[in-house]
Amino acid sequence: MDSHTKTVVLHDIIRRFATGGKDITPAMWQDFVEAQNDGYRTGPAIGERVPDFTLSDQHGDSRSLAALMGPKGLLLVFTRSAAW
Amino acid sequence: MTLDTLRTHGIQAAAITYDARETLQAFGEAYHIRYPLLSDVGSRVIRAFGILNTNIPEDHPMMYGIPWPGNYLIAPDRSVQDKLFLRDYQLRPSAAVLLRTVAAAVGGTATQITTDVLQATITLSTDRCFPGQELAFGLNVRLTPGWHVYGPSVAGNYQALTVTFDSPLVAEYSLDLPPSTPVLLKALGETLPVYTEDIQAVGTLRIKWSPPAPMPFLEALGAPLEPGAYTITGTLRFQGCNDEICETPQAIPFTVPIRIEAGVPSAPKAQT
Repeated sequence: MDSHTKTVVLHDIIRRFATGGKDITPAMWQDFVEAQNDGYRTGPAIGERVPDFTLSDQHGDSRSLAALMGPKGLLLVFTRSAAW
Repeated sequence: MTLDTLRTHGIQAAAITYDARETLQAFGEAYHIRYPLLSDVGSRVIRAFGILNTNIPEDHPMMYGIPWPGNYLIAPDRSVQDKLFLRDYQLRPSAAVLLRTVAAAVGGTATQITTDVLQATITLSTDRCFPGQELAFGLNVRLTPGWHVYGPSVAGNYQALTVTFDSPLVAEYSLDLPPSTPVLLKALGETLPVYTEDIQAVGTLRIKWSPPAPMPFLEALGAPLEPGAYTITGTLRFQGCNDEICETPQAIPFTVPIRIEAGVPSAPKAQT
């Protein structure tokens, strides 16, 4: 899927959502999913080290990767949003 | 597999999104989240991992900044032990998939099949999940001494050891069996790939995805999966031989219980 098509598909669905989404067909929805995930990348390979980071958690506490880590590891989940 | 099971195994959990801290606080309170929800406003860490979703136009007010969603299992030395990214973001893996070997050992629910040839245990990694989730399952086979079963590479009319799922609940599945060994079988006068010792294998199965309630236009993709108690049905197939005789191929159906949880609606909006 070329970048122009992706942009058109993404904006088209968003526009239809804004008006209730009743005219969205399953095929349009599949295109929408495809447009978002086309050529997706998965970051550091197995065996590679991930970048270090420190972020605020939901309570406002600063959490470094080292502090998050359990004795045997950390399951780190990247999701799209907690808001939608 | 639950957060407590993870922690029992020395593994902590955390989630990262691009949301503001207040949004994460509202979400965490609404769903009683007991692990850190990390606020990566501006998607700095998402970019550092190289997983910023570049398909989203930069001028998109809501979606720009999201990652390609996925999970990492990170070792204490910061190296990636395992990871899982799915092409379709609507499919949510359960933590168990990343922890296949652990999951097969700890298990949620199990069923056992006993014949004169073998004793097989099929274990699901969890006893409850959401529509669209991927689970791990374990297959442990103890062979009766003197018996063997055929491995996956066996040709012709011989029945290799396999597990299939035929439940409408299961969208897809796979099973990784260990390599089998070529052995000269006296009863047949042929050399064939067989298992002669106990077998431990792990696989994954994905529960059918179901549109969340507020998306009626998605219902054409499939009937929504109602929450409740279900059974996953499958079949264990194998053919046992010993030095004197070969049995006919066996196909033994089994069921494993699973609870499908209701999908969750979006969290309440943060008070700003």
